[in-house]
Amino acid sequence: MTRQEYDLIVVGGGHAGVEAATAGARMGAATLLVTHNLDTIGQMSCNPAVGGLGKSQLVREVDAMDGLMARAADRAAIQVRVLNRRKGPAVRATRVQTDRLEYRRAVQGAVLQQEGLELLQASVERIRIQADRVRGVVLQGEETIDAESVVLTTGTFLAGEVHRGRNQHSAGRAGEAPSLGLAEWLRAQGFHVERLKTGTPPRLDGRSIDWQRLDVQPGEEPLPALSALPPGKRLPQVPCHLTYTVPQSHKVVAGALEESPIYSGAIDSSGPRYCPSIEDKVVRFADRDHHTVFLEPEGLHTPEVYPNGISTSLPRSAQEDLVRTIPGLEEARITRYGYAIEYDFLDPRQLDPTLALGACEGLFLAGQINGTTGYEEAAAQGMLAGINAVLRVQGEGGWYPRRDEAYLGVLVDDLTSRGVDEPYRMFTSRAEHRLILREDNADTRLTPLGWDLGVVSEARWQRSQRVAADLQALIATLEGRWIDPQQVDTAFAQGVLGTPLSKPSRLADLVRRPRVGLAEVVQLFPDAGLEVYDPEVRKRAEIEVKYAGYIERDQAENRRLNAELERPMPEGLDYRQIRGLSNEVVQRLEAARPRTLDQAARIQGVTPAALNLLLVHAKRLAG
Amino acid sequence: MVDHAQNRLNPRTIAAIATPSGKGGVGVVRVSGTKALAVGQAVSGRRTFSPRYCHYATFRDASGSPLDEGLVIHFPGPHSYTGEDVVEFQGHGGPAVMQGLLQAALDAGGEMAEPGEFTRRAFLNNRLDLSQAESVAALIEADHRTAARAAIRSLEGEFGHLVNGLADELTQLRVFVEGSLDFPDEDIDWLAEAGMLKRVDVLQGQLEALRRRAATGVRLGQGFQVVLAGRPNAGKSSLLNALSGRESAIVTERAGTTRDILRESVEVAGFPVELVDTAGLRQTEDLVEGEGVRRARDLVAHSDLVLFLVDAGHGWTETDDTEWSQLPEDRRAVVWSKVDRGRPATGQTAVSTVSEPGLEPVIQLLRDRLQEGSAGDALAARQRHLDALDRVHGHVVAARRTLADYGSGDLAAQDLLWAQEALGEITGHMHSDELLGRIFATFCIGK
Repeated sequence: MTRQEYDLIVVGGGHAGVEAATAGARMGAATLLVTHNLDTIGQMSCNPAVGGLGKSQLVREVDAMDGLMARAADRAAIQVRVLNRRKGPAVRATRVQTDRLEYRRAVQGAVLQQEGLELLQASVERIRIQADRVRGVVLQGEETIDAESVVLTTGTFLAGEVHRGRNQHSAGRAGEAPSLGLAEWLRAQGFHVERLKTGTPPRLDGRSIDWQRLDVQPGEEPLPALSALPPGKRLPQVPCHLTYTVPQSHKVVAGALEESPIYSGAIDSSGPRYCPSIEDKVVRFADRDHHTVFLEPEGLHTPEVYPNGISTSLPRSAQEDLVRTIPGLEEARITRYGYAIEYDFLDPRQLDPTLALGACEGLFLAGQINGTTGYEEAAAQGMLAGINAVLRVQGEGGWYPRRDEAYLGVLVDDLTSRGVDEPYRMFTSRAEHRLILREDNADTRLTPLGWDLGVVSEARWQRSQRVAADLQALIATLEGRWIDPQQVDTAFAQGVLGTPLSKPSRLADLVRRPRVGLAEVVQLFPDAGLEVYDPEVRKRAEIEVKYAGYIERDQAENRRLNAELERPMPEGLDYRQIRGLSNEVVQRLEAARPRTLDQAARIQGVTPAALNLLLVHAKRLAG
Repeated sequence: MVDHAQNRLNPRTIAAIATPSGKGGVGVVRVSGTKALAVGQAVSGRRTFSPRYCHYATFRDASGSPLDEGLVIHFPGPHSYTGEDVVEFQGHGGPAVMQGLLQAALDAGGEMAEPGEFTRRAFLNNRLDLSQAESVAALIEADHRTAARAAIRSLEGEFGHLVNGLADELTQLRVFVEGSLDFPDEDIDWLAEAGMLKRVDVLQGQLEALRRRAATGVRLGQGFQVVLAGRPNAGKSSLLNALSGRESAIVTERAGTTRDILRESVEVAGFPVELVDTAGLRQTEDLVEGEGVRRARDLVAHSDLVLFLVDAGHGWTETDDTEWSQLPEDRRAVVWSKVDRGRPATGQTAVSTVSEPGLEPVIQLLRDRLQEGSAGDALAARQRHLDALDRVHGHVVAARRTLADYGSGDLAAQDLLWAQEALGEITGHMHSDELLGRIFATFCIGK
């Protein structure tokens, strides 16, 4: 029996929905998750992988606040790689290929075990509003359930429309019904709603692939993990494979373009530029004679394969022709055809950075409904929306991380201040404080904040405190301990360090030398007591010490941009009343409605002089 | 209520020339912020100040060389123009002196103020009341318009062209760097590419050439410094007075009367010129004059042109030989003075302040030499452009070092990001979204 009243209702059971619901329940809120189909909770609709550049950092941040995604991915991992290992820790990223079924099971297991969280299979038709405040949801059949806060995580279901060739039909995902009532209701409320599109490749039957001819891409050993908590039992590992398109493949695509919904005009919404369909690749990069195709296993217990790189909405026959041109796939059978999907999203500039929809108190949005793409982006927003939905119920002020605290901070700031014109995906180059926002330090950045918010369990908090203390102690030793050249054999020191040790140095100074790490220092000074520390802690201390100079400069640059930028802008500010602002700047400000001067500063075309005017005006209004 | 703690909100201590450039006999450099007093102490050499009291002091640059003498006043916050700690230096108003004084304040811990920043701080610290707010906005707007016009002007010509070219090159570099970091599955491994260091080298070279030419341009805008040198009583003060049309130097018949360095701003053939009359380059036992001699040598070393005056009545002497030989070869010219009293060497510039040929020959000389000095190569840049280019340069050098020493992608990428942000202070900023757009346009990205 579901109750008639909850603190929080989360609509949707995808990656945003489960994080919102479990975060809310962890904070002690009576929470209900409503979704079309309880069996598809935690479903990966697109490729069977978690992580990658910018994304793994988000997953670690969600994990640092006790979210599900990292642990589920670790449990379902069947191939793991650490990308950019040699390019520096700030751009190092873990990517996990998962068993799609195992992943869903892991998520469902966590959701079912979460105390204070109830589930309901139903279709939400609209939000119940009274006096611009959320009162609950109205289900199909007009049954209502009350709640103080509601989080909407509709994914691609909001007025979803699937395209393949000249065919189109309403659907939320292949074979599943879309959310039409809710979409209508949102438009009727006068919210600014637009369309985006995304797509998937056809899936293949692995038994019909000629594996012998393909390059193997094995995972790493020992197996890396995404979560800061111990991963427990891991699944057997399988490799990915690589193949590529050939000129004949491109000819097939070019020949079928007039039947492509994107090029025939049936779809005019934007798709992601970084995840282009094979149609886009062939048209936009006509000079390329091949494109790589990554064959990702769908799982241990299915022969299905996800050919990443040939997302397409061409008709079935063209998809078949295309696949047959690809080396190793000549005989491959398609098990599910690729398609493109268009769906509604709300211009995220209507949100504040807590993901609250300003016009409707108590309503929060997360995931693709905000114009993002990606499981990780969805999960991070879901968690943030869940936290803020509950803070509101508790009568507390909202919370969101700054751009120099988390990728999540970059994400919500970009969304809410700049909006989107294509599905928004995280990249490390979006983070100007990238050197601080690393995978390795997500727990020290966010677990204490999560603990204060009440979303982090005591066990994780204790663990993160221990690690932080060890890290601090080790760094203090490195920075405090001086070494005299006479204490070590000259030739030995030069051999280990690569350059002579000529003057007394702190251990940290040695770690900062090019091509030297903590391992070399341990080797030189075995009695310094450094190896008592956990290898993970040693790794992290090395990064902190090596990067200290840069991080200080980063903070100095930040200060240079000066504290005034934190000043909030008055709500409902009429930019046209400000003398001296150009029309262009006024228009940009009106579109973005920055909440702080800092946000205004990052809007294109807003000059330092315009900022001065804004500042003066803001101050005057504040009195 | 005035909140003196406001200082903490503005961690920058700002400095700027507060009087219009090149005008008036007195110029003011104003410094505001927590470090204002420290800047005041460093530049004036005074340890203690009575609030709002004029102290007479010798202003010195970072190396301790005297720049000027004048008044320094400390206005402790909140009873100051901005409400923060303020120090004002009042000196002789020539552009070169004021620029030197400003530089000294920057070297001592100040940072260049943005247009309207003093006024803005005054407003934020409640030093201006609500009714004045509109005029503040108007002021800032005016500042903005002037600055914008100046910026557009300076970004129109060749300087703008070169800066934009540099920005493009930097963007191209970042497209490769960020592309290879964010898209490791694609074939864009710039770290493995030997050409990368070379590209950074080329960029650094372009940057340094641009910086040199822009520096010349800034000098042009601020005025050429022309030093009058020559033996005592060679007629330097007379020439200075004649060119500037006023009695600012005491002219007597006795050698060694000009102990202070005197400056006058004049315009010659459209060039702003600062004439500097030095104490005679005379070896002397007199301690005060000895100091003057040292300062004179200093000025000569930093000048754009030295006019070496020779008294036609005395003729060229051995002392002249010695002193002439000490002047920088490419920046010296002989001027025979007092030709009413004797015969100059043939073919050399000769003037008289009391009879024919008058001043025209020296004006012609200045015109020729200044046009030569400013020919072609100078760029219409401003001091803030130079500041920005210096920061860009620092970041590019760091990026190169990081690449060469560590081969570390993320650190070098950060240096390049900072370089682009610094350059953005001239060209306008580039958002990461635009960079991503360039990456997607350059490479076929995407699984």
